[in-house]
Amino acid sequence: MAVACFYYDFASREAQSPTNMLGSLLKQLLSGLGAIPVEIMQKFRDQKKAIGGRRLRLLDIVKMCLAVTSLQRTFICVDALDECVPGHRLEVLGALGQILRGSPNTRIFMTGRSYIRGVVERELGERITNVSIMSRADDIATYLRARLGKDTTP
Amino acid sequence: MSRAFTENINCFNVLNNITFTATDDEPKILAWLSPLEPQVRHHDICEQRVESVGNWILETKEFRGWYNGDENGGSDHAALFCYGEPGAGKSYIWYERPSATNEEHDC
Repeated sequence: MAVACFYYDFASREAQSPTNMLGSLLKQLLSGLGAIPVEIMQKFRDQKKAIGGRRLRLLDIVKMCLAVTSLQRTFICVDALDECVPGHRLEVLGALGQILRGSPNTRIFMTGRSYIRGVVERELGERITNVSIMSRADDIATYLRARLGKDTTP
Repeated sequence: MSRAFTENINCFNVLNNITFTATDDEPKILAWLSPLEPQVRHHDICEQRVESVGNWILETKEFRGWYNGDENGGSDHAALFCYGEPGAGKSYIWYERPSATNEEHDC
């Protein structure tokens, strides 16, 4: 089983481009395998000849994610999808949808504020299940007890 | 320098016609794939999380259906979207399999 996580953060929105985000998922999945697809190795070597280097295209990253997720049961977790730039969100959801369609072993877990529910449903269609998350009184009590237990001020 | 990577994983060569290789360039290639390190945030969340808080989600039929898949092993409902207002605790949802090693959890 493989797990890859990604946390969106509004403060890092410039750096969290779709290629960096999907590239980060691919990176996590590959580091668990201890092997690199020959195609990626070749592209890495080729791009070194270009001035300033060149990154992989989103299409290539998705293709490689599909190959790697076909090998084993894979969980992809994406936190705070609402903190992603709207244009990037569409691209990323499109890419995740492609991975889901091509790799039945893959499960994707996402969180975000309610207002992006519409776009998530539109992009992932019937594959999506929604759960509403609310703080429960017993959870709050457990949390407070744990935090107060560690409080050093009398 | 790379060497053929065939032991135990011959099946790699068949799947989607992708061939894998072990290479000394691996760290450089991984860094090239993405400069981002979400493990840092992941680690912070793991540190701050209070055990058992939010575990009710794991008992919902939505979570179970998503985690286990349908009976035919199909990919219907392969995506789960947990939505809620800021501070509801969405980032801290955690699942650890009973027999899991340290690496096998969702955050």
